[in-house]
Amino acid sequence: MAAIPAASERRPLITPGFLGWLAFVGLLILIGLVAAFIVFSQGLVVTNLTNIVPWGLWITIDLSAIALGAGAFTLSAVVYLLGVSRFRPMIRLAVYLGFVGYTTALLTLVMDIGRPDRFWHPWAFWNVHSVLWEITWCITLYLIILVIEFLPVLADSRYFRKYKTFGRVAHTVHRAAPALAVIGLGISLLHQSSLGATYGILKARPIWFKPSMPIMFIISAVSVGPAVSMAAAIVLAWTLKRKTVSMDVLRTIARFSGLGLLLYAYIKFWDLAVVTYYGATPLAQETFRTLGEFTPYTFGFWVGEILLGIVVPVVIFLTPRFNRRPGWLVLGAALAALGIVVNRWNVTVSGLVVPLVYNPGAPILLAPSPYQPALIEWAIVLGVIGYALLMFTLGGKFLPLFGESAQDDLASRHS
Amino acid sequence: MPEKQKGSKKKTRVKLELTRRDVLTLAGTTAGAVVFATAVTTGPLTPFANLKQSQLEGTQGEGEGSTGRHHWGMLINLDTCIGCEYCQRACSATNDVAPDMAWNTVVPSVSSTGRRFYTTRPCLHCQEAPCVEVCPVHATYVRPDGIVIMDYDRCIGCRYCQVACPYAARVFNWEARQDENLFVPTWGNPEIERRPRGVVEKCTFCVHRIDDGLANGLTPGVNPGATPACVNVCPVGARVFGDLDDPQSPVSRAIAANPTFRLRDELGTQASVYYVPPKEGL
Repeated sequence: MAAIPAASERRPLITPGFLGWLAFVGLLILIGLVAAFIVFSQGLVVTNLTNIVPWGLWITIDLSAIALGAGAFTLSAVVYLLGVSRFRPMIRLAVYLGFVGYTTALLTLVMDIGRPDRFWHPWAFWNVHSVLWEITWCITLYLIILVIEFLPVLADSRYFRKYKTFGRVAHTVHRAAPALAVIGLGISLLHQSSLGATYGILKARPIWFKPSMPIMFIISAVSVGPAVSMAAAIVLAWTLKRKTVSMDVLRTIARFSGLGLLLYAYIKFWDLAVVTYYGATPLAQETFRTLGEFTPYTFGFWVGEILLGIVVPVVIFLTPRFNRRPGWLVLGAALAALGIVVNRWNVTVSGLVVPLVYNPGAPILLAPSPYQPALIEWAIVLGVIGYALLMFTLGGKFLPLFGESAQDDLASRHS
Repeated sequence: MPEKQKGSKKKTRVKLELTRRDVLTLAGTTAGAVVFATAVTTGPLTPFANLKQSQLEGTQGEGEGSTGRHHWGMLINLDTCIGCEYCQRACSATNDVAPDMAWNTVVPSVSSTGRRFYTTRPCLHCQEAPCVEVCPVHATYVRPDGIVIMDYDRCIGCRYCQVACPYAARVFNWEARQDENLFVPTWGNPEIERRPRGVVEKCTFCVHRIDDGLANGLTPGVNPGATPACVNVCPVGARVFGDLDDPQSPVSRAIAANPTFRLRDELGTQASVYYVPPKEGL
């Protein structure tokens, strides 16, 4: 297929607004780099993490970035396996966002581990019993798959177009896309849920230890990931001032996300009923009471996760009045993404701030240890967000993310 | 183009273009992956082949020291413990532990009858250790002699073991330690080196003493030189150490003579540390 000249080629490549945006993103990255230098040189002591709350904001960002990158495998599966080719225009964008999300997570992870120099150890020293080991491998393999799936886009971009061999190789490898989609689907289903299992398998923690954890993680990721890709397509259409993906396709994705969120809400409802009512243990009840008293857990759950993260997006995604308008769709996706972040925060931190009760006679004497991220932790987060925004900006501007979409757009306009 | 239009009217157009070559490629790739995975996970090539034999299979192998014939364990008598924290101090001196990273903790507790007592806790050395299960790099493992130990050269500092431990027995090196150990030399001298920044550490049952002691013909739990520092220092003899597999060891006899329980036994952790409850109950 001949490359369609991108609209941006006809307009000046660099505008003052674009420069300003780059400066802003550059500032974020600069903040992150300075913070990273401090963390690497002084150690994790500069964070507010403690031996009681060893995981905090960074793990939240890891989990969120991976969940929000789930649009890649979901849409790949829909297009390559179910053969629903009307979503094909979304594929390149979704895969690219997946790549950005996963690399963002890895960047944060490297900051979070105590020995970043040993990042390769999970590859060399195996513990097949560990979900974290399995997640590391899945993420590694899946990143490779994302890169292979994305090679043709790079080859088609105007910077690599002159390297004919690269293009041929990339497109040849890309013919394995259906096979890659199968493997990617398997790997993604596995590690997206394993991220929930990371908490769900820990019998030591009364409010984590439950089989619903991996299920809620995978359903929320599959629901919200595609919505994020959808919103990204709209935002790119606004900023690049050209048509990206037809509104029809975007609305279908929104509806899919809305239904997915409903399923998520349904499972969350029964999970809540079981954990806090039918299956409530004294320890779990005490934990929730302490959380309510010392942390904004309850507010975060009902307002952040349920109202803003599920109810509002569902209404926006499923009612024609709202899902006809791109602005509302972007708002809905942003809220759903926020709901994911709040959920991952609630899961990570709430299970930790209430101290373990292991010794008889002591629980009544133990105080919770609330955790507020230190400034430097926020700085790192700003840095990785800056990285993600930079990648998104550059990709949207310089890569043919919608290379296959122009004809589909024409087609949909006729109908 | 007409094809496209038709497609957009029907909205969903299922298109499967699989040639014989694609199917063969897919089958070949899958078969290759399976063979590779099998070779890597079961053959002698696998990085954890040695671990499987010597460590994962429990008490059969020939791990460090002359292990495999023992199961080291401890009994802590909550009825006699006076909460003096000597065990914590001796431990901190011997293993060069920072004060805010104590391997041994002493927690004031109250029984249901209102009497104060003290729960002291080393690492419980679970035989089904949650921390061992979750470590992504196998940096912590159960030795054949029952001791749960850290490989500081392998730990990546992800802290999942800390999160998974049901007893909060693990501490992380948040910084490169510069502190002066105030318990030295009053409570003993460091016998092992400090842990580097960025790894998790924990109680080892003074494994260096056990291994050296056995090599020199000493009996851990009987000869102080082969016994954990916390056991030696206890002024009221609230801690007893020894081989749980040997019915004549001090710890086995003490367990036989007293009512005992293990912490959070309902989790199935199979801890190697037993407790004697206070006389009037918990």
